[in-house]
Parts: sequence; structure tokens; C-alpha cells
Amino acid sequence: MRTKQTAIGAALAALAVLCALFATSASAAPAWKFESKALEGSEVVMGAAYESALTIPGLTTKCENFLYKLSVKNEAGTGKGELTEMPLYNCTTNSSACLVNTIGAEALPYPSHLATFGSANYVIIEKVKVGIRYKGEECALGGILVSVTGSAGGEVNNTTETATFNSTTLSASKTELKALSQKIEWSGVFPTEAFQWHREQALSVS
Amino acid sequence: MPLAKSASARALLALALAALCLFAGCGGSGGSADSASSGAEPEGTTPAAAKSGGEAGAEEGGASSKPGKASQAGAKKAAASNGSSPSSSPSGHGSRLPQPKGAPEQAPTPQEVANSTVADMSLQSPAIVAANGEPGHLASTYTCDGKDSWPALQWSGVPPGSAELALYLMNIQPVEGKLFVDWAVAGLDPSLSGIDAAELPKGAITATNSFGKRGYSLCPQSGETYMFILYALPERLAPSQGFEPRDFRQEILAISRNAGLLPTVYERG
Repeated sequence: MRTKQTAIGAALAALAVLCALFATSASAAPAWKFESKALEGSEVVMGAAYESALTIPGLTTKCENFLYKLSVKNEAGTGKGELTEMPLYNCTTNSSACLVNTIGAEALPYPSHLATFGSANYVIIEKVKVGIRYKGEECALGGILVSVTGSAGGEVNNTTETATFNSTTLSASKTELKALSQKIEWSGVFPTEAFQWHREQALSVS
Repeated sequence: MPLAKSASARALLALALAALCLFAGCGGSGGSADSASSGAEPEGTTPAAAKSGGEAGAEEGGASSKPGKASQAGAKKAAASNGSSPSSSPSGHGSRLPQPKGAPEQAPTPQEVANSTVADMSLQSPAIVAANGEPGHLASTYTCDGKDSWPALQWSGVPPGSAELALYLMNIQPVEGKLFVDWAVAGLDPSLSGIDAAELPKGAITATNSFGKRGYSLCPQSGETYMFILYALPERLAPSQGFEPRDFRQEILAISRNAGLLPTVYERG
């Protein structure tokens, strides 16, 4: 009798473990939501930072405004998307001799998805490729084209409706951007909101 | 027997729980959230339809307690109908988004890429190890605080058909408005994959640096950043010993399409 009780107890324990695992996997696949309801169909969301910096080792390149436009949808309950535009505005360097000749996203669109790491949700932008060409006769990097490649994870804050990208969020989301064979930093806080069918609606990820 | 019945009941309970977990998602947000969606957006809705919806909203808003917000939504949707891309209609952004000033930066065009010196070669040094996205530190032995000679350098990715390699070490910040070259060497065999510390291979041609010295000299202020750059040249330029490195760099940039970059920083004391 004790054996049967033990077996039933073990079965229930196993069920509890399975249940917990299922819950974990579900929370690891967050979805795009508007007014707390999961998005059906697709939507365009836009994020825009007041200031964002791409730190190429040795030459910090900052842009006053940095936008991204994501076409998003939920697939099997998981948020997916494509970054279709990423215009940068008023970019400068920390060297008085170096100007940004051209800078922009190459090889668009970039696939993206939502993921959970720890207790936080992230929007992951993959296959990023940003080309930066510097100019200036007295600039050590004048005439040189540097590419930033990799993936970037930004933490989504449902209260402020922002996505924050920095070294902490890139590390926590197991993403990295590289230039000159080195890991580089990208920082920026992007207020993010719907641009198409769900304008003015509260955007969240969970 | 009562125990057996009890066991069956528990097994049924377990199955019921499992089923509940599978269908209700155990509190997760995945598929269940989708099914909970109201599906208010009709498929095939166009931006034009959204615009007319927005205008309807504005009209309704006039009678509602929040006319301002509804009107704003209508205005925003009207703005969207004029162009929804961020570059074409920055004024159409939501109210919380910053409004960019001026036109967006231009991405490098294919022609610019073709005419640029692309940083696609790897240049490394065992003496310079980058960490956390910051340039690797240079030991004092490679500066005027020490032996004032170059560290070992290694590279890869030299394109086939290269005729010559040139190495430069420059300050990132100009000195008195001018590019400051601490070291420049040309005439390096393109089959080389590196140089040893303080040793140059046969055939190397050394420039007169910005200190006026033929050779290497690095006497930085603390915290200054420097860049080693390796250029691959598709044809031999063969400058003479003691060449002027700033002018020669312009010749390099006119023909070189491949470079390797290695930033480094020196912290005195």
C-alpha cells in the first residue's frame, strides 16, 4: 500500500515538475500585446531613441536620434518580427578630426523575436549590419568603412513602453555586436509604440 | 480496495491537472494569450481603412469625454496615410517618440563601398587584449616610458593579389589639428602574417614620423587612444626610406580597398 501511495505521490510530483517546465517554456516565449490582448495579424511598431551611441573601440560614434521600425506578429504565441527600417540622425564621433561620412543599416530586413531571460522580456534583433564610413583628411579612420555586425537584445519595459539596449541587456540576452573583431557597445532607450492599427494603445510584451 | 479507489481518483486528478496544464498553459502566456485576443482587427485592413476609422473616431471623440485624444489619433492616422515610413514622415510618429531633426544619415552606397577601404582584415597583437568593448591597453614598454618600440602584430585576411602591405600607428585625436603619425612602415611582403616585436622584416621601408624621427616613437598622454592600421595595397607604391607618412597615406587610400584596425589605449602610471 505504501508502494502505491509512493507511486501516486511520485506521479503527482512528476506532473508538478512537468507543469512547472511547461510554465517556464511558455514564459520563455512572450508575445506582442496591445491593451493586454495578444496581437492578431501584424502591426508596425516604431522605437526612437533621443540619443544612442555605437561605441566602436577607439572611436565613439553617437547619433542624436536613432529609429527602428519593426513589423511584428505572433507566431504560435511567440512574438516575431522584422526590422525593416533603421534611420539614424545627426551622427558624430568623439574625434574632432573624424566626421561620419555615411552610416546606415545594410542588408535589411533583420529578423527579430521576443525572448525571456530571467524575469525580463527582450526584443532580439538579429543579423544586424550597420556600415559606417568616416571622413576627414586628418582623421586616422578617414576613408575607412567599418561594419558593425551581430545581434542585439533590448529589455522591454511594459510600464514605460520602452526597449533599452546597453551592454547589460546585450549580455543578459546572450547577444553581441562586433566591429573590428571586437565586441562593441550600443546604448539607447527607445520609447516604442504602434504605428499602424493599434496606435495610442498600450503596448506590452508578456 | 478503498485505497485502490483512492489511487484511481488521484490518478484521474493527476490526468485532469495535466490536461488543465496543457490547455490553460499553467499560467503561461503563450498560446492561451492568442486565443484570448478579441480579434478586433479585421484581416486585410489597409492604412486607408485605418485612416477612415481614425476619422470616425475623431467624430465620435467630439461627443466623448476625450475629444483631444481621439482627434489626435485621427490626425495621426491621417498623417500616416501620407507616408508611414519614418524617413518619409517623421511628423507621423507617436506623441512619445522624439522628433528627429533634419534628414536621416545616408547609408553607404554600393559605389561608396566599392571605393572605400573596408576594415575587413584582422589585425591583432598578443600585447593588446581588448575587453568589454574597450580598446586593449598598451604596456609602457611600447612607449617612451619604456623601450619605445612596437609590439608583435599578427594579421589575416590579406586579399589575394595584394602587392604590398603598409602599417601605420596614429593618434585618434589630431594634434594641433593635424593627423599625428607615430609610426609608418611600407614595403611589407603581402605573404607575411605578422611581425615580431621591435623587429622589421627585410624590405621594410620606414617613414619619418610626426616627431620628426625615422622609426617608431610613441609618447602619449595618459588615456590617449591610438590606432594601428594595416593597409593592403593592390600595387606596389614603393616609397623611399624616410617618406612623409601623411602624404603617402593619401596615396594608399586612393588604391587600398582592405584594411585591418587595432585600437589601443595607454594609461600612464
